[in-house]
Amino acid sequence: MIGAAASTAVPVAWLVARAAGLTALLLLSSAIWLGLAMSLRLFPPLRQKSILVWHQSLMWCGLGAVALHGVALLLDPVMRFSLPVLLVPGIAPWRPVAVAAGVLAAWLMLTLALSFHVRRRLTQRRWRLLHYAAFAAFACAVGHGLTAGTDMRGTTGLLVAGGAIAPSLWLVYARILVPRPVRA
Amino acid sequence: MRGVWATLASVWLLFAVLAVLAWTRQQPATQAPVVVVHGKNGQLLVPATAGTTHATTRTSPVPAG
Repeated sequence: MIGAAASTAVPVAWLVARAAGLTALLLLSSAIWLGLAMSLRLFPPLRQKSILVWHQSLMWCGLGAVALHGVALLLDPVMRFSLPVLLVPGIAPWRPVAVAAGVLAAWLMLTLALSFHVRRRLTQRRWRLLHYAAFAAFACAVGHGLTAGTDMRGTTGLLVAGGAIAPSLWLVYARILVPRPVRA
Repeated sequence: MRGVWATLASVWLLFAVLAVLAWTRQQPATQAPVVVVHGKNGQLLVPATAGTTHATTRTSPVPAG
């Protein structure tokens, strides 16, 4: 009876870890879409400031989801991850490359989110170069999801990854090809 | 204020994903078979997988002599 109860118990930490990981990916994707849309000036000038606030807030919320993802993995009795494994890329005993991609994505996201607060101290060129790290963070996050994520296998994984990547690719394509409108 | 809205939307998104994952969690396909043992104090349900199957019965050798 005890064995049966243990086998059918709800793995709360595991469910929270998976949900937080997927949520973090969705929030990071949304933040990138908004950033690219702002860069393309798809929104009216009066809305740019509010969109910027949404862009920053979604990034911080994504980081919150990443933190929850890590805490849930620490509490999971099956995975048994330690704090150094979640902070240092490449030392995980389970799928080290896949986990390292996730850790790297989280560090890049944190750097980008913090950079908003030192924006005035950076030159425009450095700010732009730093923002290119968002693409690396996005690629690492999607790669981490596809290689380590339980819920991103098979068709579901392709749909989630495609749903995250396709708008980003379209916006990057437009950003490269469409000339930026000159401000009056 | 927009930050608060973004936080609320993120929390709701997290709950929605959590609900979907919990809802689609695979349940055990069938209930484990049990063996009903009738004893003095009533019947007792014993999981059929609890014990090992019997080995082939081995006949004792016929004593010599």
